Amino acid sequence: MTNSRTLGQQLQQKGISKRAFLKYSAYLASIMALPPSAGSALASGLANARRQAVIWLSFQECTGCTESLTRSYSPTLEDLIFDFISLDYHHTLQAASGEAAENARRQSMQENKGNYIVVVDGSVPTKDGGVYSMIAGQTNADMLRETIEDAAAVIAVGTCAAFGGLPFANPNPTGAVPISELVGDKPLVNIPGCPPIPEAMSGTLAHLLAFGKIPVLDDRHRPKAFYGETIHDRCYRRPFYEKGLFAKSFDDEGARKGWCLYELGCKGPIAYNACATLKWNGGTSYPIQSGHGCFACASPNFWDQGGFYNPLSSATNDMARNLVGAAVTGAAVGAGAAFLARRRQDRQLAASQNKAEDTS
Amino acid sequence: MTSLINNALPSPAETDLTGLVDAIMQELAGLLDQLVTSGEGGAIDLRSLPMTAADRNALKSRLGTGEVEATLNVAGISRIQETGIFGIWWIRHEDADGRVVNEQIAVTQIPAILMAHSDDIAFAREQLTLIIETGSKLEIDPAVQGIAR
Repeated sequence: MTNSRTLGQQLQQKGISKRAFLKYSAYLASIMALPPSAGSALASGLANARRQAVIWLSFQECTGCTESLTRSYSPTLEDLIFDFISLDYHHTLQAASGEAAENARRQSMQENKGNYIVVVDGSVPTKDGGVYSMIAGQTNADMLRETIEDAAAVIAVGTCAAFGGLPFANPNPTGAVPISELVGDKPLVNIPGCPPIPEAMSGTLAHLLAFGKIPVLDDRHRPKAFYGETIHDRCYRRPFYEKGLFAKSFDDEGARKGWCLYELGCKGPIAYNACATLKWNGGTSYPIQSGHGCFACASPNFWDQGGFYNPLSSATNDMARNLVGAAVTGAAVGAGAAFLARRRQDRQLAASQNKAEDTS
Repeated sequence: MTSLINNALPSPAETDLTGLVDAIMQELAGLLDQLVTSGEGGAIDLRSLPMTAADRNALKSRLGTGEVEATLNVAGISRIQETGIFGIWWIRHEDADGRVVNEQIAVTQIPAILMAHSDDIAFAREQLTLIIETGSKLEIDPAVQGIAR
């Protein structure tokens, strides 16, 4: 639970100095693309903030988002976020269970009325009265409605919560919906990703604590600091795209030389995320650097984008329409490559159909 | 495979000079002017700039090495080095695993992280009183030792 002392005072008792705040804030300012001078303001804001009550609701999800946050690579810095918040309810991490757990949630809501933050991972089933996912006898929709009633803000973590994710994929048997459809006019932050980058989660929470407001968001409620650019924009293979050098298969000469993976289905041009800059596992790598195209896992409908290995312009749904504003219009080389890839795929399909017919 | 991919990094190569150093030197000159006239400095986040290794080495070389060097053990090692230009400091923060999490050049009389904060000093005074009165020694929670000191 929260208490009246500031974070600075509470952590001081544990031997954590203001220097640690300054260092953490310099790190945060850097990853959130804030000017270095914002580091001092962040440190001061965090030190003077009260411990933030957080209620974490897990609905139709896989717990990957929690894993991402709790197993972040830089524990001495990233773990500070757990000193800054009071995680009053979280299925995976809390010791309490059953009625005791539900009582802890309601107690936190009462004690921190109007000030607590609700973090949600997972989508919410709405079909057949929402019976496909229930907790303590409550449907996910009812629990969400009750819990956000007096919340200061809602943070939808992961693509399932932000955009529906896997449960929302066609044919969406549970009638899953993203959190945005159920929160009304509550302030909402979407931190999509499957899972999201841990720095995006901790950075957003720290910004909220330090400045008392949510960071600047885009039109899909994503923090611009982490989702302001596409993977393609910041991809180290981008120069190969510009030169029209594309891998045609995962084991050809182009793949070995690290050429662009656009023709192998990379969705980088429409994927707004920070993987190409922050990377994973402590800045070690990200999917494209490991030789695989981007799935655009932080984008709406990423499961239904017409095949992970189809080039963008081969897709037949919203993802392809999004592309008009993304890569193809501004890059004739890319568009030509997509056309050629499509033609190659058509030829391969025709060849395989002919072979099948010959066999029969 | 991975080495082949990494070796295929696009230009500019790490050995290329991009011209960024000249721009940074001009910005530092402006910040130093500001520090002299108004007492207010500033900082440049080096990790936000597309610098090559050659750029970084050239910048270090042009700024030189000054009189003060400090190492802090706060949630990992931090190294602070005054450059040969008084008031310009090269600051490099690492996490507990030695990963660089922030690198910046600060223009200031002394980087704030080097100074003991007044709140910490007040708390330390209470601790010292307790140590004197009880004849005990300073205890640090092992769970936070890596973060605190």
